Amino acid sequence: MLKRALAIVAILIIGYWLAQGLSQVPFGQDKMLVGKYYLEHVKEQTGAVNAVTAVVVNYRGFDTLGEVTVLFIASTGVGALLWRKKRKRTAKTKGSVVLTTGSKLLFPFIMLFGMYIFIHGHLTPGGGFPGGATIATAFLLMYMAFTIYEIPHKGFEVTEGFAGMGYVLVGLIGLAIGGYFLFDWIWQTWHLGTSNVGRLFSGGFIPVIYTIIGIKVGTELSGIIDNMLKEEVKE
Amino acid sequence: MNQVASLLIALPLISAFFVPVLKQINKSLIKPYLVLITLIQTGIAGWVFKEVYTTGKPIIIYAGGWRPPIGINLYIGHFAALFVLIIALVSFIMAIFSLKAVTTEPIDKYAMLFLLLMLGATGMIATGDIFNLFVFMEITAITAYALTAYNKTGEAAEASMKYIVLGGIGSSFFLVGVALLYGATGTLNMAQLAELANSINPIVAQVGLALIMFGLAVEAELFPLNAWAPDAYQAAPHPITAMFSAFVVKAGIYALARLLYLLQKASGWSSLLRLLVIMATLTVVFAELSALRQKDVKRMIAYSSIGQIGLIALAFSLGTQAGVDAGVFHMVNHAIVKALLFLAIGYVGLTVGGTTMENFEGLGKRMPLTALAITVAGVATVGVPLFNVFWSKLKIILATLQAGFFWAAVLVLFASVVEAVYYFRLIHRMWFMGGGTRIKEGAIAGILIILVAIIIIIGVDPAPVWNIVVKAGSDIFNVANYVKNVPLMGVGA
Repeated sequence: MLKRALAIVAILIIGYWLAQGLSQVPFGQDKMLVGKYYLEHVKEQTGAVNAVTAVVVNYRGFDTLGEVTVLFIASTGVGALLWRKKRKRTAKTKGSVVLTTGSKLLFPFIMLFGMYIFIHGHLTPGGGFPGGATIATAFLLMYMAFTIYEIPHKGFEVTEGFAGMGYVLVGLIGLAIGGYFLFDWIWQTWHLGTSNVGRLFSGGFIPVIYTIIGIKVGTELSGIIDNMLKEEVKE
Repeated sequence: MNQVASLLIALPLISAFFVPVLKQINKSLIKPYLVLITLIQTGIAGWVFKEVYTTGKPIIIYAGGWRPPIGINLYIGHFAALFVLIIALVSFIMAIFSLKAVTTEPIDKYAMLFLLLMLGATGMIATGDIFNLFVFMEITAITAYALTAYNKTGEAAEASMKYIVLGGIGSSFFLVGVALLYGATGTLNMAQLAELANSINPIVAQVGLALIMFGLAVEAELFPLNAWAPDAYQAAPHPITAMFSAFVVKAGIYALARLLYLLQKASGWSSLLRLLVIMATLTVVFAELSALRQKDVKRMIAYSSIGQIGLIALAFSLGTQAGVDAGVFHMVNHAIVKALLFLAIGYVGLTVGGTTMENFEGLGKRMPLTALAITVAGVATVGVPLFNVFWSKLKIILATLQAGFFWAAVLVLFASVVEAVYYFRLIHRMWFMGGGTRIKEGAIAGILIILVAIIIIIGVDPAPVWNIVVKAGSDIFNVANYVKNVPLMGVGA
């Protein structure tokens, strides 16, 4: 009881202190030093209509590369910690016919929608991460509906690796063509789609990178689900 | 041409992503592949080091070709060039050690995590953007969590759990601090933050800075937030422990120092320094006293390592040029000594089976070269003249006295005496107790001897290294120069 009271008091003090700091940050005022530049130049410099994806993939693409790596580490870490020589799904209760049939029917639709999200990253809200997560949801649905369903492991791992290498390769091509790592060569050197802003074939390398990220995130999250659902079998 | 230095980041990444493909081709190639990649990385780092120190100008990498603060820039100045080289070298040595030391499956995942740990630390040291620092810190921390638990024993899982919870809280505080600073200034670039530092509202600056310090202190193992460290050091695979001690912590402590000195114009800065001095001194005292009672040698060295880190933190938080130089010097020395010590102890643990005190009895007769290496490293850590750590400890204590913290210097000296007690106890056990027959020492002994030679060379003639270190130190301390070197676009200002 005393412990809890002390904890509450401590949290209140920290909360008050944080609120003090926050109250001095000007909200709603024009404090956009860098932000304004992005808004004013995003279309001509990157060809993306969606300013968020332009910032995330193009201006600050280095951060996104890092985030993709973080996700990769998470799935590798889970894989390393749950590794056993032989593992199998041990689920017992079968789903009802309505559930299994429904899932089978839904699966392609979810996949399609996920791909739609990451392909249109430069035009509509979303991008590689939500698109990839949606695709992983489709696989989760299959895992939940069927007791024996399993993704093809080797294929998924290799795809994940190739997707990650693809991202770095796009960056290295930028280094070779434009002189900078992660340089948008499609837009700034080749000028592909410059007359096409706002349509599908525009946005420089943003759609390319988002497709790669979408595939990578989709396979990674599915891999995590797969790893966590399987249990060791003793012989 | 200089932009090629971005390979320091790109190479470990693309090679880590290639491992799953390599695994399908031939699994036995993975460990040699790890050695090869770290060797190439060492080569690139060596080139960057040479480039920076001969031209005297930092290499600025523009990711995506955008000038800061629009894009993210990497700043490889004197400090970063030196430390990226150390990171690559230690990783290379540990990759060789991993050939023998790590036999637990799955080896492909180990290789990926190993490369990404190296990448994360390199990025933390090199980045010039505060949010990018957070991303690289996450990469380093999450690989560290996974690698701590890699051995899959009960205690490894527990150690990793503690680390995850503390690290998670720490990094979320760091993120809140970054958000506050961004809210107050409108920029994330470190150079521009330094320019705008004195215009930040005092309360925001205080809260934001304190949150960032708190977040980084978890990674940097400062006193109240370092409870995870000894467990994690003990439970992690041997090469990984050496990497933690040699550069992962240092990346955290460097980030702390870098941000601290960048924002030195912000109000409330000096009180923060005072707090850090207290935390650092307590870290030294508590760690050394805890090491005194340990029965496991690896754990004992882990506590000793935390104590040394506290000493570096103390040097950095003095707020003077002399202190920063001494801190960087100690970072370099400690990286060499602790890499050697954890390598040797890991090697003993591997051959004898376990790292408890009893296993070290009579080691002088069974594995003389390894015992010699442990002895030299132990004596060096205590700070005996003619060994490298003596010079850096001396400089730190002199700097502390100059800055007027008499009590801190006394407490740190006292801790050094404690340190001497447990190191000499270990050395006594190795050479004058027990016995046994000779065990054949393999190629690792060669690496140990090279490291011992480096320790003694620096100890006898510290001048060349000291010259490098002074340049690296002014890279951190001389903020005006840092800001001048980063070509900021005139956005908003």
